[in-house]
Amino acid sequence: MNDNEQALDFSTVIASTVHDMKNSLAMLMQAHSQWLGQLPESARQAPEQGVMDFEFAHLNGMLVQLLGLYKLGVNQMPLQPAYHELDDFIEAQLACHQEVFASRGIMATYEVDPLSPLGFFDRELIASVLANCINNAIRFARHAVLISVSDDAGQLVLTINDDGEGYPAQMIERQADYVQGINQSTGSTGLGLYFAGRIAALHQRNGVGGRTEISNGGPLGGGVFRLYLP
Amino acid sequence: MLSYHQKRFLIVDDFSDFRSSVRSMLRELGVKEVDTADTGEQALKMCSQKAYDFILQDFHLGDGKKNGQQVLEDLMEEKLISHESVFVMVTAETSQAMVLSALEHEPDAYLTKPFNRSSLAQRLERLEQRKTLLKPILQALDRGKPMEVLNACIALCKQDIRYSPLCLRFRADALRDLNQNEALERLYDSIIADRPLPWAFAGLGKLLFKRGQVGQAKGIYEKALKVFPMMPSLYDGMADVLVAEGDTKGAQRVLEEAIRLSPLAVRRQALLGKLAMTNEDFDTAAKAYRQAVSQGAQSRFKDAESNLGLAHALISKGSERGLDTRTRLEINTTLSAVAKENPSDPGLQIRARLMKATSLLLNDAETADKLTEQALLRLDGMEQFMSAEAALLVAKQLKLLGQTEAGTAMLKNCVEIYGDDPVVMKDIAKQTDDPSILNSGNAAAELNRQGVRVYKTGNLVEARQVFRKALAMQPKNISIALNMAQSLLHGTDTSVPSAELEECRTCLKMVGLMPDTDARYPRYQKLKSKALGQ
Repeated sequence: MNDNEQALDFSTVIASTVHDMKNSLAMLMQAHSQWLGQLPESARQAPEQGVMDFEFAHLNGMLVQLLGLYKLGVNQMPLQPAYHELDDFIEAQLACHQEVFASRGIMATYEVDPLSPLGFFDRELIASVLANCINNAIRFARHAVLISVSDDAGQLVLTINDDGEGYPAQMIERQADYVQGINQSTGSTGLGLYFAGRIAALHQRNGVGGRTEISNGGPLGGGVFRLYLP
Repeated sequence: MLSYHQKRFLIVDDFSDFRSSVRSMLRELGVKEVDTADTGEQALKMCSQKAYDFILQDFHLGDGKKNGQQVLEDLMEEKLISHESVFVMVTAETSQAMVLSALEHEPDAYLTKPFNRSSLAQRLERLEQRKTLLKPILQALDRGKPMEVLNACIALCKQDIRYSPLCLRFRADALRDLNQNEALERLYDSIIADRPLPWAFAGLGKLLFKRGQVGQAKGIYEKALKVFPMMPSLYDGMADVLVAEGDTKGAQRVLEEAIRLSPLAVRRQALLGKLAMTNEDFDTAAKAYRQAVSQGAQSRFKDAESNLGLAHALISKGSERGLDTRTRLEINTTLSAVAKENPSDPGLQIRARLMKATSLLLNDAETADKLTEQALLRLDGMEQFMSAEAALLVAKQLKLLGQTEAGTAMLKNCVEIYGDDPVVMKDIAKQTDDPSILNSGNAAAELNRQGVRVYKTGNLVEARQVFRKALAMQPKNISIALNMAQSLLHGTDTSVPSAELEECRTCLKMVGLMPDTDARYPRYQKLKSKALGQ
């Protein structure tokens, strides 16, 4: 057996473990929400609740991302593009994080250009990118997160904006490195950018691939993450 | 008030915890009518008794059980749910389920576990909205009226052009059902030029293949597989192309690839078994047929041909000293199932017995003889035609079992029924070089060709005469009988009794004995309903 095969075997072990972890987490979240339903109203509002909800979503997002990276690595990532209604798509992503928004007092809103109500992309993959972005935005937002959809010369642009501190200047400067996977060792945001970049690039039209972009500012003044899909 | 409160829900999941958790979410959302099922079989039964508006179906219902995709296929094929119902596939991991999904039956949405109440509410609300938007199209689909589907699509796009992408699939399927091939090809081309959609590629490939443009179909599949290497149905299309080109080894490799991606597919496994038999790769054939049999047990695609194929592959694999006990046991089990489950099908009864007799030839000659005798008795009284493939294997096995005369009779019969097909004649030539058999169909086949030429000139009277002469030589020949029937129906008023009509019905009664798997069966049905004035 050569080194290459060994490396692949190890990543398969990790992937199946992550798969089990994800199932386990799903059971945990389900049991937790059932148990929560039996508690009196006052106990349901405890601040620890918000921490749990956020960390559940965060853990789940990371595991989904890990599985996604594994599939990218072994070239198993199936791209299944189709037309999707954008307001529905974004609402669904926000609904997943509803408890966290509520417990952290964050106001989450979205705007969809009524002239382009449909987008063409792989729902699962783009959802995993959006879920990570929302998670990230929640971590840094003070009171508000805004998701907007617009059209840039025929490309669909998904923008996630928060009212937090914004990305560090060095990260914005070197974002191309993150996307290329050169600098992966700087925590989950770097890995998230890499993953988002790879997924965006899988979406192609007439030779043009999708891409990501981070900056600061926007209507809320904090971090801005943009996903361009051709 | 949300719009789905008054609707009927069915939750299908093998975990009771999950069922109760979703049930309580739905209750909290104000839904009153919620039923649950823990297996696919139960879900199908419940759907046949009650029309559900929403079905939340878990994808993986346990090993060896019908999965969510199979439940969806059964519900659609048996028309147990309306197109207006919402079918949501619930999965632990969605991409896998999507790969396994057949392109022709996709769920309305996927919902990944875990999900919270707001996610569920959001999905349901949206799906309800979408179904309302598409209502005229979905109702036309339920009525099975493709023309009305097209009109409803046009109306919706007129009302709001932005939603036209949502209609593409409905339009394509309707054009396909209406056999409007040119319009369909233009639609597929325009879709692919704008956005590569896997179903559009698969549809275009299928259309080109159906029209005999095999080379172009191949080009489309090659292009599609570059963009969607994970889509098993594209491999199926490619395999069809390679078989048509005579490259059965290449076709086998392509199907093996599709099965690696998506092993749960009864028809694909059976087709692989058949191809591997052609390629004399008996190990692969046995493995594929074994899968087809075991998966088929829960599926609507259960087919005795897979059992027979498995037995045939195992026998072919055997050594000169006969078969080992384990193999004999497997053959016995798989063939007994055929005999037991098809008591009124004489063809299958005969074939199962001969197959078993062949397997026992070296180890238990006495039982083999007994089985052969039983088969011969049934063969004598059998009116229905076997498929050419089945008949030729029966002929071969009869000869092996020492029944040379019966084998030869079988071959002659096969020439009579299928002799105009050069492929069948080539297979017959593999078993005999007796010119009296090989040439017995020539004169009738020539007359049949002549009849077609005359028919095309519009000279009905002469065409009928030529076909009649041909049919007198080979009364069971399917092609000649169908041509005869068609020429008799041409210009004949089917509402008044006439000699032509009578002759036509007699003709059709004879070809009605053909297997319903024959490619000409739909043509027969069409002629029959015309002859009966339906």
